[in-house]
Amino acid sequence: MTRKDLPEEITNWIGRQLFDHVPSNIAVINRDFEVVVANSNFKGVFGEVSGKHCYEAFKKRDAVCENCMAAQTFEDGEVRVSNEYGIDRNGQPAYYVVHNAPIYNGSGEIAYIIEMSYDVTDTKSLQRQYNILFERVPCYVAVLNRDLKVVRANELLRGTFGEARGQHCFRVYKQRHEQCEDCPAMKTFADGKSYTQEQVGIDKRGLVTHYIVSTAPLSKSGDTVNHVVEMSVDVTELHKLTQDLLKEGYFRHQLTENALDALVGTDASGTVNIFNPAAEELFKIPATEVIGRRSAWEFLPEEFHRLFDNEGRTLVLPETTVQNSEGESIPVRFSGAVLGQRSEIIGGAGFLQDLRAYKKLEEEKLTNERLAVVGQTVAQLSHGMKNILTGVQGGLYGIRAGIKRNDMERLTVGRERLERNVTRITEMVRGFLNYTKEHVPKARPTDLNRVAEEVVTLYRDTARAEGIKLRLEPDPDIGRINVDPDDIHTCLANFVSNAIDACKEKEADEDEELSVTIRTAKKDGAVLMEVADTGCGMDEETTNKVFSTFFTTKGLEGTGLGLLVTRKLIHAHGGEVSVESRPEEGSVFRIELPLDKLPPVSTD
Amino acid sequence: MPRPEDKTILVVDDEDDVRDYFADILRDAGFNVVTAGDGEDALERVREKIPDFISLDLVMPRKSGIKFLYELRHNKDWVNIPVVIVTAHAHDKLGKKDFRDIFEDKSFRGPKFYLEKPIDEETYVRMVCENVGVEYEESETPEKTEKQRREVEDLIKDADPDTIAELLKRLKGKG
Repeated sequence: MTRKDLPEEITNWIGRQLFDHVPSNIAVINRDFEVVVANSNFKGVFGEVSGKHCYEAFKKRDAVCENCMAAQTFEDGEVRVSNEYGIDRNGQPAYYVVHNAPIYNGSGEIAYIIEMSYDVTDTKSLQRQYNILFERVPCYVAVLNRDLKVVRANELLRGTFGEARGQHCFRVYKQRHEQCEDCPAMKTFADGKSYTQEQVGIDKRGLVTHYIVSTAPLSKSGDTVNHVVEMSVDVTELHKLTQDLLKEGYFRHQLTENALDALVGTDASGTVNIFNPAAEELFKIPATEVIGRRSAWEFLPEEFHRLFDNEGRTLVLPETTVQNSEGESIPVRFSGAVLGQRSEIIGGAGFLQDLRAYKKLEEEKLTNERLAVVGQTVAQLSHGMKNILTGVQGGLYGIRAGIKRNDMERLTVGRERLERNVTRITEMVRGFLNYTKEHVPKARPTDLNRVAEEVVTLYRDTARAEGIKLRLEPDPDIGRINVDPDDIHTCLANFVSNAIDACKEKEADEDEELSVTIRTAKKDGAVLMEVADTGCGMDEETTNKVFSTFFTTKGLEGTGLGLLVTRKLIHAHGGEVSVESRPEEGSVFRIELPLDKLPPVSTD
Repeated sequence: MPRPEDKTILVVDDEDDVRDYFADILRDAGFNVVTAGDGEDALERVREKIPDFISLDLVMPRKSGIKFLYELRHNKDWVNIPVVIVTAHAHDKLGKKDFRDIFEDKSFRGPKFYLEKPIDEETYVRMVCENVGVEYEESETPEKTEKQRREVEDLIKDADPDTIAELLKRLKGKG
């Protein structure tokens, strides 16, 4: 149907109403660029424009625009479409697509240009947003055509892989000369579906990059995909971290597997989650029975359990005991930590070092020490024995003389002398052999003040005879502690006897008081006993050796073992002996017994 | 020739049995013996009566041997009394220092030698005799006789015939 065939109402409407109703801004301008007529849309946007120049109306300019499309169309009559930027009546910027078409007059000259434009501001805005997105999104974005050439690449891609447009994607990402085998873009081109894959490429610096690629069809004509968009997230860092983590994990695993110390780890609920081979060894139970099944508190010390509501707490116990699955009590050194993460307790870990071997070594060392003392003093012993042997000799001499002269008295004197000295040697040797033997104290609750009193009673007369004051200063709150009272008696008696001798030895003035004072005290988790004298004292060299060598300044008494034995007995109680001395002023011998190291009560 | 009865020997040792033993030996040899158990007592004895000889132990309480010796040597009346040191501690730490002091100190006129315990009785008595100018009398002991017998047996092996003949005569003659 032609126009002529159309019903009149349509023709009339087209003639009159169309101009205003068409959803477009229309203005007709003459050769002077004056607006001759404009539709209501145009006026709506740009305001009353009759008589105004188009550059005034559109753009609020006062001169012809530089690349004026209308001017060019006036010249050559070509229809032109352009993107124009204008200012609307409210002063707001607006974007338009403008069509310029010529209107010929009767003579075939171009009398007017009709400009038809529509607002693309929103579209432009969307376009801008899209561009920003495309460029700035923190992943690589590229648009590929069917040749796998990059049509467009975003800022990040260009920054990492270099200028990409026009190049094959495999060249850009991987510096390859041919298509990758499992190219996800190819798959998308083939079936129009989206694909996601992990890829390894090389960036423009030549460094390996890891990324995850997602491809999607961007434009189609029918079933054929013309463009594919590739979005890739760089996971190089993540990849590296994962590798590092795996390595760390493996390393840690090797550490715990091969550690000599038992490691028991627990989660927040107290269930064991780590139980290394050394722990299996210590507790004599396979890890499979423990991990995830047993409570860590069956294996770790109670003190650690108590710490468990305080994140970040650590505990070291130099010596404690744990029970293994066979009911054996094992001495261990424990160190553990409660692990937290942002004030939430996530678990704990405990290290246990089996002290049995160490203890055995310690014992061996002690025994060796004692044997060394023995070895060292065998030479000294022989000297000590010389006096006694001389006594034996003397005894024999008396017996010989008695027999020769038939003198019963001499015989008796000789025999007694012999007996006395043989006994002395016997005791000396016995005492020495005893010293090298293991001593287990027979401990029972003992009042040390009583023991001290007994020692005082024992030496009271001796002290008085020498003009020495013997005093006891007991601590009334000493209580009873688990010790072998005979051992303590021996040690105190040894100290007191030495103290008395030291006083005898001293060349004191008339008014100087010679005294021996025994003190007991309970303090700081230990019981202390000391014997202080105002005797002749010892020099530094002597003080250092006094507990560790066979030593005597006395001819008559003492095998010289007294202090060695004392030290041994006190060590067997978990305690320590010490001495302080000043020549010519006196000495203080001390025994310190920590309450937590005392032997258990003997069941003998 | 002086006789042992005229001589006084001071025996100093802190061990009773040792002191008594030495005293017995010397008394059996005829000497007068006084004893002391430590350095102090020893000085007392010397003050009471100057002895002809002193047998001295080194390591004693209440003035050790060395201190006693020092005082002795610094007293003009006592400086020449002969002393022998009889000790058990010649080689150990207790005695070493004293020993050095005594034997190496040129200014200190000490004893020329020492005896170590246990002593040989004969040597002891012989030494005392020499120092006080008394003749030493050998005493017969079974061990001594045995020793002599062996000595004779040894000498017989190498003896010339004349000596053997004479010996035989001697032995047979002794009826």
